[in-house]
Amino acid sequence: MTYRKTYRTLLAAASMLMVVQTAPVQADEFSDEDLARWQQEYLSVVGQGDKLFHGGLSSKNTVSCDQCHPNAANTHPETYPKFQRQLGRVVALWEMINWCIQNPLESELLAADDPRMIALQAYIVEERRGAVLEPGKH
Amino acid sequence: MMIKLAIALLFTGVAGSLSAAPLGLPPVPIPENNPQTAAKIALGDKLFHDARFSADGKVSCSTCHSQAKAFTDNLPVSKGFNGLTGTRNAPTVINAAYMKTLFWDGREPDLEGQSKQPPINPVEGGLPDHKPLLAVIRKDRDYVRAFRGVFGVAADAISMDHVAMAIASFERTIVAGDSPFDRYYYAGDKKAMTAAQIRGLAIFTGKGRCVSCHTIEQTQALFTDNRFHNIGIGFKKIHGREAQTAEQFLRAKRKGADVDVTVLTKQTMSELGRFAVTENITQVGAFKTPTLRNVDKTEPYMHDGSLATLEEVVDFYNNGGRVKETDPVSGFLSGGIRPLGLSKGEKKDLVKYMEALTSPDLERFTKR
Amino acid sequence: MHDNSRRKFLKQGGALLAAGTLSISVVELAFGKGSEDRFTFAYISDSHITQIKGNRFVRNWDRGLIRAVAEANLLDPRPDFVFYGGDIAQLGKPEEIDHGLEMLAGLRGKVHYVMGEHDYYLDLGDYWRKQLGPDHYSFDHKGVHFVVLNSILTHENWMHRKWDSGMDRMKQMARLDNPNGQPFMVGDTQRDWLKKDLEKVSKNTPIVVFSHSPLQKIYKGWNFWTDDAEQVQALLKPFDKVTVLYGHVHQIQTNQIGNISFQSAMATAWPWPYPATYKQQASYMPKLTVDMNRADPFFERDATGWQFIDVHSGRVDVNYLLPDNTNRTVAFDEKAGHPVDTKYQAEVNRIPPQKHY
Repeated sequence: MTYRKTYRTLLAAASMLMVVQTAPVQADEFSDEDLARWQQEYLSVVGQGDKLFHGGLSSKNTVSCDQCHPNAANTHPETYPKFQRQLGRVVALWEMINWCIQNPLESELLAADDPRMIALQAYIVEERRGAVLEPGKH
Repeated sequence: MMIKLAIALLFTGVAGSLSAAPLGLPPVPIPENNPQTAAKIALGDKLFHDARFSADGKVSCSTCHSQAKAFTDNLPVSKGFNGLTGTRNAPTVINAAYMKTLFWDGREPDLEGQSKQPPINPVEGGLPDHKPLLAVIRKDRDYVRAFRGVFGVAADAISMDHVAMAIASFERTIVAGDSPFDRYYYAGDKKAMTAAQIRGLAIFTGKGRCVSCHTIEQTQALFTDNRFHNIGIGFKKIHGREAQTAEQFLRAKRKGADVDVTVLTKQTMSELGRFAVTENITQVGAFKTPTLRNVDKTEPYMHDGSLATLEEVVDFYNNGGRVKETDPVSGFLSGGIRPLGLSKGEKKDLVKYMEALTSPDLERFTKR
Repeated sequence: MHDNSRRKFLKQGGALLAAGTLSISVVELAFGKGSEDRFTFAYISDSHITQIKGNRFVRNWDRGLIRAVAEANLLDPRPDFVFYGGDIAQLGKPEEIDHGLEMLAGLRGKVHYVMGEHDYYLDLGDYWRKQLGPDHYSFDHKGVHFVVLNSILTHENWMHRKWDSGMDRMKQMARLDNPNGQPFMVGDTQRDWLKKDLEKVSKNTPIVVFSHSPLQKIYKGWNFWTDDAEQVQALLKPFDKVTVLYGHVHQIQTNQIGNISFQSAMATAWPWPYPATYKQQASYMPKLTVDMNRADPFFERDATGWQFIDVHSGRVDVNYLLPDNTNRTVAFDEKAGHPVDTKYQAEVNRIPPQKHY
């Protein structure tokens, strides 16, 4: 839920900036207003992912992601791609999410570009923001 | 051609501590205290096939690990001297060099340790101890010459350790990869597997969950995790009597009973699996994951040889560790075993895929 | 020498499985009294039995409990009793509690129960109490005073708010990382009861307290927390030897606060990450903890398990039975004055899977 607070802080900062910078910015292709709006767009997807992560996938056996991963902890998105021995190869985060959907959740796989898969990744990475990229780490 | 290959194998062994590895396999691990030499391998080969090391003079290593049968005996459980049977299925020697523990319950840490046991097991070689075996060797001029050449020992100094080292060295040359799967997965030959086999591979690493234990990696595949799991085989024999069986076993063990003898002669105690070795109660009925390489040639399956075909094996897993869907489930069942919901077609594809794990050059072992 | 005395005890007790299963290298303690005061019990917790529909339940959680029961039944000598640490059910449904109790009925010997929040918040514990009796009580066994508390209560006004349904309330509490979560507490009534209960007990009587939530503050965001922990600890302070055993956290935790040793139970259902792995919030960590090995999700039972408890001279050794993983023993070290992991406590002995990040 802290990402929502972040979002509010960002919006406040952005609006303050706009008061100061009365003249339109010429050189840049996007403005602070754009930045704030895009952040909002992103966080709307994070919010969808949050819901999916907390039961919104309506898995066939009622199990949800947060049961093992409160606040998406212990998902380590910063370590992908990495070798996952039970998938037999180096995989991206979404493939591991699918493993969880298929196994503990006993449900149908999502396509890589399924909006739900994008949203789940957005939520998981958002909860891990600030972590240093460590691809391959176990 | 065959001879060339054999020579290549021998000399890679001599050259360094690691042999060249076939496609899909890592280099063979060679223990530092038992380096490969051509003479040692040849000596091991001879010892492996010598039937004099048994009570009736008819049982050699190769009786249960026959080269013509992919180094198995294709029997449910092995036949020892005088036709006596034990409790366990003979695993293949092919690629045993990669195993981190030996025997179904991992009671020996290496091939050297493993090779010492069968000659003196009462349902295998049937010798009272290693003395008669060593006596045969010490009286045999060819052996005496060979042991002197390989280990630099005189006849009366030949020990069971020397015998075991030679046999293990020979077994470390029995390595086979380069299967259609290896060529498909590791060499990029997309025609090496059929469409059904390619679908089967997806089941193997996905819905079938096989790869959880029968590992495939990015550059190599041993098809075993070298771990122990209770998959539900054989548990009916001790169902409801697990505590008594465990207690009886431990009482006997405390009184000095040999684990190797006990698990091969007592039907019920055999089913304790890894527990018999570690006495860890989370390992009751757990057995080592076997490799699946050449699995199409190593029937029947499971530690007790109770499943005759790969189709039966797939059905067993698809039923969540049960022969029939109506069978009870073992309380000790590994968490990874659950009904899989595979369709008839998916099961067929999975079997087809396992047929793609057969190495093409197995005959080289039979043409001696 | 210490090892010998343990072996002797195990031998005299005819301890076949215990002797083999558990690390004999436990630092053995000089016995104040004779070994006749020594006894064992099994400790199973957090099964989260989940009804899908009708008689269909989540298989994975069922299997965890079934396996713990099967393994506990192998213990030799028989444990004196079994403790169940709470959260039989996932959503407190009578069907879930009954199904869990049906599996637990397979245990040989008496079972004592602790209330978990997943058992409670559907009907405020009515069905649980109907099946299992009071949610706080005490009893004496072989010189040890056992206390059971219901530590998962919360503010009265939240519990009795105008909820759409009991299930609505249950679901709020069932979500561990619920941003609108409410802190657990033992509450005035039980603390008064505990105070009176302990008045009868001499200060040198060893005390073992069972709660579901940790009676210490670790991380409020996931309710690894009891709001009135300090007040409960104060009531236990006058006693020489106190051990608190708790569930809820689904992981190994070890601590010593003054005279009180704290040890947690593994779940039979699934493991939880250590709070420190959540990057966005600060949390505490019970300082003596040697982390459980990180779970390999591909073995469903990995990082789950149950406990076998060895009580001697009023001290508690916890033996963690961990399928698909290495068993652990966290034993009270008389010299150090706190529990230690008998194998991994020293930093140099830690192994890679014990690094959580």
